[in-house]
Amino acid sequence: MRTVVVGGGVSGAHAALTLLERGHDVELWDVGRDEAGFAEPGTGFHEWKTRLADPVAQLLGTDLGALIPPATAELLRYPPSRQFLTSPKDPLWRFQSDGFFPHTSFAKGGLANGWGANALSFDTDDIKEWPVSISEMDAAYKIVYQRIRVAGPIDDDLTPHLAGVYPSEPPVRLSDADERLLQSYERRKLKLAKSGIRVGRARMAVMTDASRHNACDYCERCLWGCPKAAIYNPRFTTLAECEANRGFRYVSGRLVLSLISSSRRIIGIRYLDTSTQEIREEPCDVVFLAAGALQTGAIFLRTLKGARVEVALHTEGLMDTAVVKIPFVSLASVGRPLDVRSFQFNRLILGVITDSAPWPRYLHGELLHLTSLLYYPLIERMPFDSRLSKKLFFALRSALGVVTLFFPDRITTGNRQVLVDDRNGWNAVQLCYRETGEKEDYIRQSVSRVRSALRQLNCLPRGVARSPSGAGIHYAGTVPMGDGPKRCDPAGRSNLFPNLYIADGAAFPSLPSKSITMSLAAHATRVARHAEL
Amino acid sequence: MKNGVLFPLWQIDAQEYDAICAYLRLTPKARLYDHLSGYLASTPFRFPRPGGFSGFLAKPRLTGWRIARLDLATKLFIPNHPIRHILNCAIAVHECDGQGYLEMAASPQAWNAAGSILGWMAGFVVNLAITMPWLGWQLLSYASRMAFSSSDSLAGKRALISGVSHGLGRDLMLHCLEHGAEVIGIVRNPESRDALKAELPASAPMTLVVADLSQPDALVAALVNAQIPAASLTIAILCAAVKHDGRSVLSLANLRDTFQVNFFSIAEFAGWLCGSGTRKTGDPSHHRVERTGDQDPSVEAASSPSSLARDDGRGLSTTTALVLVSSMGRWHGMHFSSGYNASKAALSIWGESLEMELRQHGGRRFTVTVVEPGLFASGMTRPTALTRLLFASRRQVASRIVSGALAGRKTIRPPFAFALLTWAACLMGRDFRYRLLARAKPGGVRR
Repeated sequence: MRTVVVGGGVSGAHAALTLLERGHDVELWDVGRDEAGFAEPGTGFHEWKTRLADPVAQLLGTDLGALIPPATAELLRYPPSRQFLTSPKDPLWRFQSDGFFPHTSFAKGGLANGWGANALSFDTDDIKEWPVSISEMDAAYKIVYQRIRVAGPIDDDLTPHLAGVYPSEPPVRLSDADERLLQSYERRKLKLAKSGIRVGRARMAVMTDASRHNACDYCERCLWGCPKAAIYNPRFTTLAECEANRGFRYVSGRLVLSLISSSRRIIGIRYLDTSTQEIREEPCDVVFLAAGALQTGAIFLRTLKGARVEVALHTEGLMDTAVVKIPFVSLASVGRPLDVRSFQFNRLILGVITDSAPWPRYLHGELLHLTSLLYYPLIERMPFDSRLSKKLFFALRSALGVVTLFFPDRITTGNRQVLVDDRNGWNAVQLCYRETGEKEDYIRQSVSRVRSALRQLNCLPRGVARSPSGAGIHYAGTVPMGDGPKRCDPAGRSNLFPNLYIADGAAFPSLPSKSITMSLAAHATRVARHAEL
Repeated sequence: MKNGVLFPLWQIDAQEYDAICAYLRLTPKARLYDHLSGYLASTPFRFPRPGGFSGFLAKPRLTGWRIARLDLATKLFIPNHPIRHILNCAIAVHECDGQGYLEMAASPQAWNAAGSILGWMAGFVVNLAITMPWLGWQLLSYASRMAFSSSDSLAGKRALISGVSHGLGRDLMLHCLEHGAEVIGIVRNPESRDALKAELPASAPMTLVVADLSQPDALVAALVNAQIPAASLTIAILCAAVKHDGRSVLSLANLRDTFQVNFFSIAEFAGWLCGSGTRKTGDPSHHRVERTGDQDPSVEAASSPSSLARDDGRGLSTTTALVLVSSMGRWHGMHFSSGYNASKAALSIWGESLEMELRQHGGRRFTVTVVEPGLFASGMTRPTALTRLLFASRRQVASRIVSGALAGRKTIRPPFAFALLTWAACLMGRDFRYRLLARAKPGGVRR
């Protein structure tokens, strides 16, 4: 039996590893571009800049293509030296968008090459719309948390709301500003609890146990690529485990375009050989689509077209997390010295617990005191002239922070992928996405609640920055679980093609606020465990 | 420094960069200036062009005083002004640099921080108190000048310019690009094309057509082969010229070459432009087409042959301004420049005749503008004491030519003081002109 997993990101890696553990031979097909390694391990971010031949080219690109212009909502861009993201200029790019700016990856390891490392699990409330029980998910989470080590507290105020998270490493070290904020929270937590605000230490998929060779050394370069691979990346761990198995075959240079079907069964795969640019076909028996919700949706739509199924050629849904950033000044940290070395991503998280039906009760926020970033977009956003803004920013830097809120999403009429023009033998896909008024109200109320909480924590919130649609990078729901030909069953099996499994976020029928990566791995694991092979 | 200033509305030269660094208390570095200048060269094609008052504020050179005023004024009122891009980029590139970051990050600690912040805020109030009246004065100046100026935006217009590889043609090209036009530039050979392509940002909406104007019909054939419809042009500026200095007036080979480039190629082009536009293709060995803008899909689409042929979304230009770049030299003879002055005299007179004939055409309307520049810094003039005295900025001349031609002016003679001098010399008689011009020295062949 020829079993093919499509996609080499978190979902594909965990689906493949689970199938291998079941004793099946697996081929994993991937475009599989490699990202160069990250030099100078141990060197802190600011020292690293002095060692680079051309730091501007490294951090902003030779043509400064990653420079964030003034008067834009963006505060952060992945540096061009990180090669895992696919640009719309890429010849393999086949998305058209109307106000939705997607991030996709053709790198080995996928978008997980650049994730923020926050590791959370969905709980009963998060998946209340899913046709899956929490016990099924929890069984998968337990497997995943054995494969991915997570740093975090065993018990804190957030633990009751973060069921299914199993930390196995010490929490990430806090900065002095984090400590002061946490102390402030401890003093006011009873009052804050009444408004549903909880603050705690982040649950991060990062090695922190100093006895490990690849433990985090706090070099503040998470965003630019962890030189020690301390942050979980399927490329270095899960896929490496797969590759150690004799039944595994990693096939790179293949962009799967569609699946070939006959009598409602998948019998082959149509793919672009990226080295020769030729479109080829190969037979297969079972396919696990794990190319990421956007690519999986696109492959599924092209498959429907090829199968001449009488359905409209658009997906059932398209979801993403809306991202809102609330910058603040922590008064207790004004004028304090900065930590010499710190973890670049967030060390604290903030939960907003409310009854805001139909949304999940838990709204996830990442609470970050700035340690090492390129600050010019923040300086430009300050309401003073550049010279004063620059001086003020650096005088206040140890006190500056940002809360990033990740808003849940639901399948909404009109938000979907639509198959459009056929070019070079494979169709492009239009991404249609609009926020609903209901969600905007929820966002407004939640932002107001968090701003109020920040004030109670002796922090001054200043403005609200909304990332463009698509910047959440938590894409889901393109082939969701449910009834209908364009959906899959609770086991991830396509309702139309019984030997096709949807093993990534495309199968999620709703998108909770919590970070998605561990749930992608758990879903892929669950689907692969129960697949009928 | 690798990059020169191509687009003064957006880019800054090395002295202005020094002023920016002094303002931000940063140490200037040539490497960082190269990054900054290269980035700013692409900004005219990525961000909205500053128009109206914003554009007025962007034109003068940056000094310490002006930077301080513009910084605050634009932060408060004009968030897309070029100075915002300049300051944002300057801070970004210095932040990437180890030394630059340390200079920026040096800040007071503990209670000193509170004191410093109070002091800075007081300084901000003072800055505001100076900047607001300054801004009001600038607004008054702008309003008073606005009454005598027309809109200089070329957005959505297509301009054809010959001789874009150097001199006035190059400045005309840069002016048109900076003001939003799509430019079809004519260059003489592939080497000039490649050099120009390397110099311009990839996103510039520029189509380069190679045509050797010394060959009969080469220009028209190149345009036909590039599928450029005559009717899509809003303005066509024939700027390319050749000058065989120091050759005998009796050198017929030079005379023929001069007249072919300076006169007949223009007459051929005018025939194509004003006629049916369906001339024969001609010898393909004399023309090649190369387009820039390959990094921006929209620009590529705008300048692809098929889109030019379809005139994609632009519609046909209802009026086409034909600009014939002659010379003040057309008013008098000059023994060492062989046929140059004669060819320019022919061009001026022929242009006037063309305008008369075109007036009788129905349907599409053409305007003919004859430009007779005096001395300005171009490949045609040598920097002497006299030329420095009568120097006309090529940038200003380019701006005057484009705005004048689009406004339908029949003749443009910049600088006008030089035209008055020339006419005075003409009135003084031939002996006087001989004594005046006999000492002029030839400079060889210039194209």
